[in-house]
Amino acid sequence: MRACEEVQGTFALTIEGRGFDSRVSAGMHENFLESECVSCGACVQACPITTLTEKSVIEIGQPEHSVVTTCAYCGVGCSFKAEMRGEELVRMVPWKDGQANRGHSCVKGRFAYGYSTHKERILNPMIREKISDPWREVSWEEALAHTAAEFRRLQYQYGRDAVGGITSSRCTNEETYLVQKLVRAGFGNNNVDTCARVCHSPTGYGLGATFGTSAGTQNFDSVEHTDVVIIIGANPTDGHPVFASRLKKRLRQGAKLIVVDPRRIDMVSSPHIKASHHLPLRPGTNVAVVTSLAHVIVTEGLYDEKFIRERCDWSEFEDWAAFVAEPHHSPEEVEKLSGVPAEEIRGAARLFATGGNGSIYYGLGVTEHSQGSTTVMAIANLAMATGNIGRPGVGVNPLRGQNNVQGSCDMGSFPHELPGYRHVSDDATRDIFEKLWGVTISNEPGLRIPNMLDAAVDGSFKGIYIQGEDILQSDPDTKHVSAGLAAMECVVVQDLFLNETANYAHVFLPGSTFLEKDGTFTNAERRINRVRKVMTPRNGYADWEVTQNLAKAMGLDWNYTHPSQIMDEIAATTPSFAMVSYDYLEKMGSVQWPCNEKAPLGSPIMHVNGFVRGKGKFIRTEYVATDEKTGPRFPLLLTTGRILSQYNVGAQTRRTDNVVWHEEDRLEIHPNDAEMRGVHDGSWVKLMSRSGDTTLRALITERVAPGVVYTTFHHPTTQANVITTDFSDWATNCPEYKVTAVQVSPSNGPSQWQVDYDEQARQSRRITGKMEAAE
Amino acid sequence: MVTLTIDGNEITVPEGTSIMRASMEAGIEVPKLCATDMMDSFGSCRLCLVEIQGRAGMPASCTTPVAPGMNVSTQTQRLKDVRRGVMELYISDHPLDCLTCAANGDCELQDMAGAVGLRDVRYGYDGSNHVKARDNGGINLNWAPKDESNPYFTFDPAKMHRLFAVCAGL
Repeated sequence: MRACEEVQGTFALTIEGRGFDSRVSAGMHENFLESECVSCGACVQACPITTLTEKSVIEIGQPEHSVVTTCAYCGVGCSFKAEMRGEELVRMVPWKDGQANRGHSCVKGRFAYGYSTHKERILNPMIREKISDPWREVSWEEALAHTAAEFRRLQYQYGRDAVGGITSSRCTNEETYLVQKLVRAGFGNNNVDTCARVCHSPTGYGLGATFGTSAGTQNFDSVEHTDVVIIIGANPTDGHPVFASRLKKRLRQGAKLIVVDPRRIDMVSSPHIKASHHLPLRPGTNVAVVTSLAHVIVTEGLYDEKFIRERCDWSEFEDWAAFVAEPHHSPEEVEKLSGVPAEEIRGAARLFATGGNGSIYYGLGVTEHSQGSTTVMAIANLAMATGNIGRPGVGVNPLRGQNNVQGSCDMGSFPHELPGYRHVSDDATRDIFEKLWGVTISNEPGLRIPNMLDAAVDGSFKGIYIQGEDILQSDPDTKHVSAGLAAMECVVVQDLFLNETANYAHVFLPGSTFLEKDGTFTNAERRINRVRKVMTPRNGYADWEVTQNLAKAMGLDWNYTHPSQIMDEIAATTPSFAMVSYDYLEKMGSVQWPCNEKAPLGSPIMHVNGFVRGKGKFIRTEYVATDEKTGPRFPLLLTTGRILSQYNVGAQTRRTDNVVWHEEDRLEIHPNDAEMRGVHDGSWVKLMSRSGDTTLRALITERVAPGVVYTTFHHPTTQANVITTDFSDWATNCPEYKVTAVQVSPSNGPSQWQVDYDEQARQSRRITGKMEAAE
Repeated sequence: MVTLTIDGNEITVPEGTSIMRASMEAGIEVPKLCATDMMDSFGSCRLCLVEIQGRAGMPASCTTPVAPGMNVSTQTQRLKDVRRGVMELYISDHPLDCLTCAANGDCELQDMAGAVGLRDVRYGYDGSNHVKARDNGGINLNWAPKDESNPYFTFDPAKMHRLFAVCAGL
């Protein structure tokens, strides 16, 4: 019970009855499943008397050895002890010395690892001529030789730039590094991108432009010193639960909270937590609202002049201050377009500027907009103007989605950047890699994911190597993605399961789980954590070995025998990683980059004595409304998000018992909007945008404001991304998932697209001639 | 820093350290159930009691901070008797299925029963919550079935009841 209150902050466990008849129970006479319990497991771990016991321990028995490793779900990067019996995982126990999670966990990290042994996992390589053919299982040698020959043929036939690759933010730094190396050194172009394209690419751009680094400024411990927190476009209790618990603990100690989100997320009001201000803005008006906060701070003289004069360029500040002070940024004007009461904006701005250490935490509700990069810069401006950078308790903190999305960006996964965020046009940087790899690297940026798909539809892009990403389900405008994939001649998918993208693949290379390999993940606080192998890869090879074998098949002379050698190469070529090695990580537990001669112990907090770029840069942030507008045909705004028990496209969590909490995606709709349309709770509705339509069941709730609807995107049958449009961030092409004009109407069954898609997917997953598992 | 004596050993620890923590630093294990480094201590289980020279009663070592010159005893006859008595009450309301229990060998309750030298439970088991029927065949209204609704862990109220105090801190 104490654990539920103090560690998790859910207050699900209560005492019922009095004296001798009293007992602990979950909620009000409910069982655990129906209660408020979020299954974080803290009570199970704390229970000294075995009243609470893991079912896996009851089934398997007690572990006989354990290995410390890092969770492979979200960007918090929790450390766990994988407690083993031989090669069998008995339980995951959060590690108390874990510097990100400090011994806490959520339901995904602690319990949802069953996918690794799920019966649908593919363990043998497979190839096929056409995507309408059934799969044929082949040996690793045949699969890799076939892939190499196909890529060489495509390059010979259509040109060097006709192929590319996508690195995975779910895989390790070392694996990501190898995939971009394969593209740059093997394919000979810069056509490499990663799923950060669709999530935090605006963070990289926005923070790079203002502060000089493409990463969050703080460590998670910083939250223990904060006094006022702004959460913008993030839902930490669902998306980053362990961070949310740490934040809630601080809020219970008296820190104040401001939530900027179209939905009334749990943080707005939950046991012993109440946000001082909730700004329920219309989706798409982030820039206007954040700039308006700055308007109040500037016009009321609440900025930190000393900090700005010391750390920033005063004339740039003056220019920016004059800009935000313009009357059209006043809360009263912004209220008209954002729907947020002016008094709330004023109150929030005053509280943030005067309440002590102010920190800003944000998520994809900031980045996934046509003005995603602009909002990131507006946030950075706000932090600089109030002097909230460079010490514990403050800062700008992107809550990163995947376990290693920070790392995949660091490792040169973008078409314009080599490892360490160095532009491909920079001769000195290219020279380092060219000498080491013995190749010439193109000084022209390659294609981004959406450009690859466009080029495929146009007929100039023909082959792609996709490691651990399901672009068909996760990228916007599904119909365009499928058209692009269908137009390619060789799509290679490396994954644990036949994901949605694999429906369009010609080669399938089975992937390995985080339990089956050594490596490192870099979390949202730039912390490089070790991933340690606890069992033999069931598919035969760790993912880095597969990439290496493919490189060898293409004639490259790669001979890594352990991922530590790959990290040594990264350290030798990338200044911010200069002192990182497996030995050093063993000694330190983990380090936060930059970790080099200037910062041998790593950098828990950045910009301490000045900004990385020199002076912090204030940038004007003019609000430009998205082209995606509501009108008579599509009067509602759809925004999307995640739920605690499921993770992203659900390839993993849908294959665990977590489905008991969320077996389908629902459309959240306000009672007024539902009544007008004759929609009942739980009934099927058709959701339609100018891109497409789909059907799902409705959930009537006041969590969303009138005029706004919301859904999760965890289940492929929902096809939420058939609805989303191809609008994207002006700077980075990050898709505008969070704003789509839609109409909702009652429906009695799946759309034609859903029926066709199901049939295509079923046909595409046929496998003939099953072999024994590899090795 | 604060210097104190625990069981005759002099030890120096930072101000604010609990007696329990100071003892652990000195290599002296004090029996405990409810204290864990994941939570603030709340002194509920009453196993970690100690005696302090010049002070009345037996304070919980987990919630009592050290003081300069303090002379602490963790093992006196009085403490042993009280701890054994507390354990005896706990065990009178807990099933004795240790050999087939999933936690056998990894159970703090089991460890503590050993640590305090529990050999006998004089209160009998009838009426406690872990039996479905009373000795006289009547229904035990205190009994509740195991909750297996959560896919990942089970909650067995039979193993709890009077012990709620340990985790609730009441």
